[in-house]
Amino acid sequence: MFPRCALAARADRVLMLALAERKGGADRVRRRAVTFGLAASAAAIATGWRPAVAAGPVEGRDVMRTWYRLVLELVRHTPTYSPPVASRAFACLGITAFEAVAGGDARLLSLAGQLPDLTPLPPREAAPHDEALVLHAALGAGVRHFFANTGPTGQRAMAAMQRHFDERLAGGLSPEVAQCSIEAGERVAAHVIAWSATDGGAVVENMGFAASAVPPSRPEQWVPTSLIAQQQAPLLPTWGQNRPFAMPSAAACGLPPPPAYSEMPGSAFHAEAMEVVKTVAALTDKQRRIARFWADDPMLSPTPPGHWVSIAAQVLATQDAPLDRMAEVQARLGIALADAFIACWATKFEYDLLRPVTYIRRVIDPAWEPLLNTPPFPEYPSGHSTQSGAAAAVLTAMFGEDFAFEDATHVDDGLPARSFPSFAAAAEEAGLSRLYGGIHFRAAIERGLEQGVCVGAHATALRMRA
Amino acid sequence: MRRCVVAGAAALCLALQVRADEPLSPRFVEETAASGITTAYDGEWEFMVGGGVATFDCSGDGKPEVFVAGGAGMAALYRNNSALAGALRFAPVASGLELESVTGAYPLDIDADGLTDLVLLRVGEDIVMRGEGDCRFARANEAWGFEGGDAWSTAFAATWEAGAAWPTLAIGTYIDRAEEAFPWGSCTDTHLFRPGGRGFAPPLPLAPGFCALSMLFTDWNRSGTPALRISNDREYYKGGREQLWRIEPGKAPVEFTEAEGWKTLRIWGMGIASADLDTDGFPEYFLTSMADNKLQRLTPPALQAGRPTYGDVAFKLGVTAHRPYTGSETRPSTAWHAQFDDVNNDGRADLFVAKGNVAEMPDFAQDDPNNLLVQRSDGTFAEMGDVAGVASMAISRGGQLVDLNLDGLLDLVVVNRWQGAQVWRNVTEGAGGWVQLRLAQEGANRDAIGAWIEVRDGDRVQRREITAGGGHASGHLGWRHFGVGQATTVEVRVLWPNAEAGDWQPVASDTFQTLSPGRAPIVWQP
Repeated sequence: MFPRCALAARADRVLMLALAERKGGADRVRRRAVTFGLAASAAAIATGWRPAVAAGPVEGRDVMRTWYRLVLELVRHTPTYSPPVASRAFACLGITAFEAVAGGDARLLSLAGQLPDLTPLPPREAAPHDEALVLHAALGAGVRHFFANTGPTGQRAMAAMQRHFDERLAGGLSPEVAQCSIEAGERVAAHVIAWSATDGGAVVENMGFAASAVPPSRPEQWVPTSLIAQQQAPLLPTWGQNRPFAMPSAAACGLPPPPAYSEMPGSAFHAEAMEVVKTVAALTDKQRRIARFWADDPMLSPTPPGHWVSIAAQVLATQDAPLDRMAEVQARLGIALADAFIACWATKFEYDLLRPVTYIRRVIDPAWEPLLNTPPFPEYPSGHSTQSGAAAAVLTAMFGEDFAFEDATHVDDGLPARSFPSFAAAAEEAGLSRLYGGIHFRAAIERGLEQGVCVGAHATALRMRA
Repeated sequence: MRRCVVAGAAALCLALQVRADEPLSPRFVEETAASGITTAYDGEWEFMVGGGVATFDCSGDGKPEVFVAGGAGMAALYRNNSALAGALRFAPVASGLELESVTGAYPLDIDADGLTDLVLLRVGEDIVMRGEGDCRFARANEAWGFEGGDAWSTAFAATWEAGAAWPTLAIGTYIDRAEEAFPWGSCTDTHLFRPGGRGFAPPLPLAPGFCALSMLFTDWNRSGTPALRISNDREYYKGGREQLWRIEPGKAPVEFTEAEGWKTLRIWGMGIASADLDTDGFPEYFLTSMADNKLQRLTPPALQAGRPTYGDVAFKLGVTAHRPYTGSETRPSTAWHAQFDDVNNDGRADLFVAKGNVAEMPDFAQDDPNNLLVQRSDGTFAEMGDVAGVASMAISRGGQLVDLNLDGLLDLVVVNRWQGAQVWRNVTEGAGGWVQLRLAQEGANRDAIGAWIEVRDGDRVQRREITAGGGHASGHLGWRHFGVGQATTVEVRVLWPNAEAGDWQPVASDTFQTLSPGRAPIVWQP
């Protein structure tokens, strides 16, 4: 079936070839000693979420933590990775990691057959495998695929990571076990990559911005708010048509329309705009901190879905969670986040609502300025709210209703850690941060959180344990 | 073929259409093959940024020589053998500048001996090279107390602080290159080299450093004391931003804050160009980046209050230069060196931008033409890089618009990654008149870095700050070129650094003039 696994006489050479092939992309990169320990972030240190160190045995948990830490950096430093695109990568990599772990853990149930069009994963050969190396091979292949378009520094980092774990993990194994493990992991990755190719999100051009935009014909429609030329058309207008992961369709978590557009003082719409104006005018220092803590701008952060992946990683590290638990949590969370952006984007482009800055300058105050930069796509519902609601639903199901935690995601960026009494409280604060920032009306936040709860329920309902 | 990009953005689309009031289109002829300049900016990851060129006269004939950074290869100095108003011809000269790992270079007369020196930015130790005459240079780190360190240097600026006989240098550095898997957040410090002893004092860290790719001492508020503006690459910093440092003589440097009006801006900052485009006496700043470029202008309230708060007018004036305007590419652009100068001599500053992929980033244009944005009479700009003939698709980095054959038209040299530098001769027919001015003063700061030159034609005054720094790893010392349109005579004066303004003095167009404090202009004949 997989003859190279069984042919011990050839195994040494095959293993070396396999490793060399994966290093091919790094041929231009000068080899240096890996320095993961020195580069550990403040957040990582604060939470105990450290990469593998240079000595001692490497566990699957080290592999998972370290690759995920790199993924969060790659999301930040790969220009295509707007929040929806990032959420898809988190889902696919979460599924890849989970299936790699599940292949060697009878307690876990594959997601094949539960996620649309995901066929059964290739079976493993009946031979010994090293589970950490399986996971490393799977994540390495997945990361190389989903971040193939990252820049030269990201490529260099991926190569360094691959080399580091190749040497640490394969070095102590028999050639047969190492080869079987690498092949098993890479088959899992290949299967998920092939499946993902048809979901509608595989090709992202022009950093996700449409090549053209139809000028608005009604006053409530979204208009560009940015001075950046590329952002004169909206981000990813067809993302809501992507194949969902766990929810049956984007419409399964659809929303009622926002308050009817009106420029009349006293109307519900005008009242919402006035709330934004008054809120921004009277921001407290705490509210400003909250707005910036959750801003999670692309290219300057791991994006909003990455922020929740970071939260999950920190919680898992605090709990010293076993690998199967880590894989399950990150897979469910990634799926929920990806579905949240599909549902949210479908709704955004269904209602195509203008941003507060447009309405307020038109109707209330021509010189009005929001605290945060207004994102380049329609307003309703709030993406932060939908995806935070979905993430909180999953994490609450996994860790409990009143699970208090500290979030140090942005310590390296100079934003102090914040503490929350529950995931729901964090999600609510993330949603409200957009009101403080002056970029969302309240309805978008409240309905967004509700939409997220709906989305999260589908991810939570997946059967991942026997 | 010119394309109208972002079809839905009516305003931008209109801005790109050919208009009735288009300025005179410049025309350049590429003379790379015959020029004799062959140096490429070579190397891999550690040379993905940088790639500078320095232009200055070291032979004494008034024509600028060309020094090209070679990255992992050897840097080279080329003597300018071009005939007056003739074809561009150069020959490599054994200068002592043949060094590896050079990322950029800036000319400067550090020791005020009347001979141009050169600051070499490098991956490794930075080196100050003392000019010895006839285009010979010798290392002066030890003699001048310059600690060259061991970093990845990528930005430079110089000023003479009030009363100082020796310059203050700022050198910006990039990533800690020892970091492989997690280099993000490892930006190393900028260093300030102030005068000390018989040369430079030990470097003063300007921390935090945020991976500077361009910096400029500039008197943004016309206070008489330039501040240090730094454009940083957001790809690698954490908690970083564009920076403006208050550098006051005898005081510790202090970074301007949001409370003082310096708004947080985070871009892939790669190059700075400055010019007083709206003739209000205050410079605008063009900042290169990826998929977006900024043109910063003081907001009206900030102008009144003297606060460093800038708005972005790039979109309004048509200089976003965010994606290729010719060729088949639709992916966004990557911009590096930027420079304002007047390429058609109509009296209005135009904008050159060098473009090129970082390496092979698939989300960005691989065939990314350089821009030549020519200013219209209404202050907006028209893209003319293609019709001018400078829309190179090479992976460009540094550059200089400079009159290489002393015919009054600015020529162009551009450094490319993995490919030889390119040279274009400006042959624009029907271009306006010009003056080229060189500042010369006794004592320290002989080239009057920090001065402002004003050129008046009727009620219109062009103002230019004389700086050392900015662009992308590229600098110039020597003639300062002004287009003067149809004027046959203009008035010029110099606001000398830390001194009184000179008198307005008439000069004929199409002449070279040397300006010194308290003296009438001296015509120089090539």
